[in-house]
Amino acid sequence: MSEALKVLTANDLAGGQVVFLSEAGWSDRYADAVIFDDAAAADAALEAARAATLTLADPYLIDVAAVDGLPVPTSYRERIRALGPTIHPDMGPQADGGVLVHALQQARGAARSSGRLGLIRRK
Amino acid sequence: MFHYDAIDTAMVADRNAEFRDQVQRRLSGDLTEDQFKPLRLMNGLYLQLHSYMLRVAIPYGALTSAKMRALAHVARRWDKGYGHFTTRQNVQFHWIRLSDTPDVLDYLATAELHAIQTSGNCIRNTTSDPFAGAAAEEVDDPRVWSEVIRQWSTFHPEFTYLPRKFKIAVTASPQDRTAARAHDIGLVLRRNRDGRLGFEVIVGGGMGRTPYIGSTIREHLPAEHLLSYLTAILRVYNRFGRRDNLYKARIKILVASLGAAEFASQVDAEWDAMDRPRLDLPDIELARIRASFGLVPFRTMPPRSERFEAARSDPAFARFARNNVVPHKIPGYGIVQVSLKGIGEVPGDCSADQMEVLADLAERHGHGEIRVTHEQNLVLPHVPLDEVPALHAGLAAAGLATPNINLVSDMIACPGLDYCALANARAIPVAQAISRTFADPARAERIGELKIKISGCINACGHHHVGHIGILGVDKKGEEFYQLTLGGSGAEDAAIGHVLGPALGADKVADAIDKLVEAYLAIRQPDERFLDTYRRTGVGPFKAAVYPDAHQA
Ligand code: HEM
Ligand code: SF4
Repeated sequence: MSEALKVLTANDLAGGQVVFLSEAGWSDRYADAVIFDDAAAADAALEAARAATLTLADPYLIDVAAVDGLPVPTSYRERIRALGPTIHPDMGPQADGGVLVHALQQARGAARSSGRLGLIRRK
Repeated sequence: MFHYDAIDTAMVADRNAEFRDQVQRRLSGDLTEDQFKPLRLMNGLYLQLHSYMLRVAIPYGALTSAKMRALAHVARRWDKGYGHFTTRQNVQFHWIRLSDTPDVLDYLATAELHAIQTSGNCIRNTTSDPFAGAAAEEVDDPRVWSEVIRQWSTFHPEFTYLPRKFKIAVTASPQDRTAARAHDIGLVLRRNRDGRLGFEVIVGGGMGRTPYIGSTIREHLPAEHLLSYLTAILRVYNRFGRRDNLYKARIKILVASLGAAEFASQVDAEWDAMDRPRLDLPDIELARIRASFGLVPFRTMPPRSERFEAARSDPAFARFARNNVVPHKIPGYGIVQVSLKGIGEVPGDCSADQMEVLADLAERHGHGEIRVTHEQNLVLPHVPLDEVPALHAGLAAAGLATPNINLVSDMIACPGLDYCALANARAIPVAQAISRTFADPARAERIGELKIKISGCINACGHHHVGHIGILGVDKKGEEFYQLTLGGSGAEDAAIGHVLGPALGADKVADAIDKLVEAYLAIRQPDERFLDTYRRTGVGPFKAAVYPDAHQA
């Protein structure tokens, strides 16, 4: 059985760029995101983000699946949001490359968990 | 070219100062997001998937070299070096920071540009004919009437909080290059038998989830009554348009539910009761607006240019001349269309460098004028035929000489899921795949006129309903799928397309288009466009080509 994994995301208010909640505050990199496997903790973090109206716009939780041990957003919309426009691989966070960016780029359709998360940074 | 007067300049400056203050108050916490969002939208600033997007108005699609250079500067300084021209003749910058927006708007104002009426439930930027002032068949300059509407509608207190956004198109040529019948109001200017100018008034067209071709409610409205009659339409809409349901709020739903005849009689009742002379534009004001466009200093030249004809010995130029250059009303001039649909490129995108090249070329060869088309291309409306070869060389050097206007690779595509927060599926990669499939220019020419239009969701910003072939992105259980429609048209023979069959996976679309085209080539009669063949034969041969295994229904 796969567990329900979540990541908290928003847009930065002043800049508009996509941000994710990380251990060290809000990060532009999906790779930094905290992976929640506890629904209550995820909801509490969302509440806190909603209160941070001076820095964030539209915070919400996204579903993540553990694909080959890596946390991949289940919806292709959220993967594109985490990467940047697919037509411009040089734009947005995807430009940095890395294992996780590659995993998101490879995922197709509705990603489903293929086992437990191999990595880390859970709450 | 129309120029601002002191009132226009002050109005834009006031608006920018007001928005600067609003942005400040949002960033300091004095405004909540809920309070701020409608204000931001009234200034053309959307929050998209990866960033804010600023939509800049290009009233009736008319740019000068100076304005194009200003757009290039915005693209380079505050964006990632490009802009996207849209089907509403606007330009969108996809990577703008909220905190930079006041500076961007102040800078744009120095070039007489702004983002007013590009968003919100107001009367939006008026669409007009990109060939205005150049087309041989036009009965008057539609930009003059578009500017009349612009001055009347900007910040009109009665029509700033309509049930929904409201789009008007004005054309003065029999050949419709504005999709007038797909607008909330389409205005087609004609002369009647007595030679008097009047508008055919078409209401209730639109795309979105319930597409309609507009209905004509008046065959010939005397031109001088335009503003009072528009006021009457807007009043009926403002009163009875549905504010309770976002999806039923457009005027098309009101016209369809009342019936065009009943809607027309309510407009007439309103119109008859109003104090028309107070609302109609005085002749003297019309003359002032007309004069403020100035005159293009056309030269007297022979209708045939030897230099232009000699250049046809270069096959690339000959192809460009056949597909991208059309006759001008003045002998010896041509209207040159610049395709923003390079093979495999993003439809409508233009880099800052290309914008500057266009600005220079327009200055050198085209009286400094550039137009934006609702098909996401650009036009240099006034080019002496003698200078088209030099212009072509300049365009080619900047990757802007693709000879495909109105051909299969000249597609419309909305930003789709690569940028848009509302999207179900991507649109641009589909366009790119189709474009590559039809990269051979000789084959594209053999196929002839074919309008493919792609939207990433049912809002239909990519006009898919009126594509000869329409492509709509849908989400099917978490996968991107695409539904094809056939037989639509946004031109004077406007029609809504019909769904061909079950939606196809992303990797199947370009191949399906190829099969549709092959089916057409096999059965077309002389001089038939794809659309004509479809209209003659119906869906049968096309369905069989894409869904060979389907049982006959
Ligand atoms: C990327 C940001 C965009 C957003 C959020 C957006 C949003 C929308 C929405 C919500 C509608 C449906 C409105 C309704 O039916 O009442 C719509 C329709 C439309 N939009 Fe967009 N759009 C965007 C970009 C564009 C672009 C790039 C174009 C031009 C290529 C465009 C042109 C249109 C047109 C022509 C319609 C349909 C005509 C109509 O019924 O008014 N939009 N848009
Ligand atoms: S059609 Fe849909 S996906 Fe495309 S720009 Fe409009 S709202 Fe976005």
